[in-house]
Amino acid sequence: MTVVPQGGGPVATGGGGGSGNLYDILDLILDRGLVIDVFVRVSLVGIEILKIDARIVVASVDTYLRFAEACNRLDLEEGRKAPSQLTDLVGEVTEGGSHGKAKGALSGAAEAVSDALKGGDDEEREESHKEPAGRRERPARRPARRRKE
Amino acid sequence: MSVYVYSIVASTHPRKLDDLHGVGDPPSTLRTVKSKELSAVVSDAPEELRPKRRDLAAHQAVQERLMADGTVLPLQFGFTTADDEAVLAVLKERVEEFSERLAALEGCVEYHLKAAQEEDAMLRQILQESDEARALNEQIRSGTGGPDLPLALGEMVSREVQARQDRLAAQVLDGLQGFAREDRTSQPTGNDFLSVSFLVERDNEKSFVGAEQDLAKELGEDFDLRLLGPLPAYSFV
Repeated sequence: MTVVPQGGGPVATGGGGGSGNLYDILDLILDRGLVIDVFVRVSLVGIEILKIDARIVVASVDTYLRFAEACNRLDLEEGRKAPSQLTDLVGEVTEGGSHGKAKGALSGAAEAVSDALKGGDDEEREESHKEPAGRRERPARRPARRRKE
Repeated sequence: MSVYVYSIVASTHPRKLDDLHGVGDPPSTLRTVKSKELSAVVSDAPEELRPKRRDLAAHQAVQERLMADGTVLPLQFGFTTADDEAVLAVLKERVEEFSERLAALEGCVEYHLKAAQEEDAMLRQILQESDEARALNEQIRSGTGGPDLPLALGEMVSREVQARQDRLAAQVLDGLQGFAREDRTSQPTGNDFLSVSFLVERDNEKSFVGAEQDLAKELGEDFDLRLLGPLPAYSFV
């Protein structure tokens, strides 16, 4: 198996089933591949180290609270400082490419922050007071997103 | 003793498995069961086979070795049958089906892509772009809002996360589908927003990998794209 590095050409991990990235193709080995119905499949109970994480369920109270907490501790200012640091890094690794994108997002950050600073408190208060009320009218329990297999 | 089955290849395939071993501890010896048209790579099945890392790696190593010299139908991990005769019976019985799949996959490999976005970066974007979310966030931080606010913010943000991830997944798929013959998505796990396999013709491999790298550059540092391949066509057998 080979991992294709995002900067250059493919690099072999040494064939021989290099298990370095076995984890990322575990679902292929275990769930895909040819199935011959007259054969017997060994029990897959007790997958040793290689447990597959379930995807984070986005529509759940736990996730809401976790997101809220993450937003609360997020340093929006960081977006302002980041461009110079990022530019160096990106410049070394790739070139150009992601500049536009990263800068766009980050200068967006700076704008957003200064907007927030400028925008009078009153205006914002008003908006956020309205918000919870509006939220409550909405059904709190949204059906869990159906996933396509 | 029952038999563990790894792969099916055409009988003309050289099957250079010399130094490789099969599943089990101690590792089993690989051998071939042959019909006129097809060969199956098998080994004795260990008494108690459990999906351990070593065994999964052994299964995968056989597929990789075989695909170096031709087309391979990789079995899903963990299939066993009574004995070599039972394997031979299946090879004979299903010769048409297997030969057809081998022909369809000739000259093709699988690439598997998983993609994630750094969570803080995504949340920062959402807060920047949504006045509502930002206002709620400020209110919670300043301690002026009611106890319902975190839930309201979280719901708003998670809806936005979902929408963005769906768009990103579509964007990535859209950028690569043109270089692949087929693709198959599966439920992403962990923080990933996309998990997809592509069936890529060997002749298109360079363009496909190039397109993926361009896409990774375009998306930028906040994204983690893991492209694995070339792999045996697990998802397209």
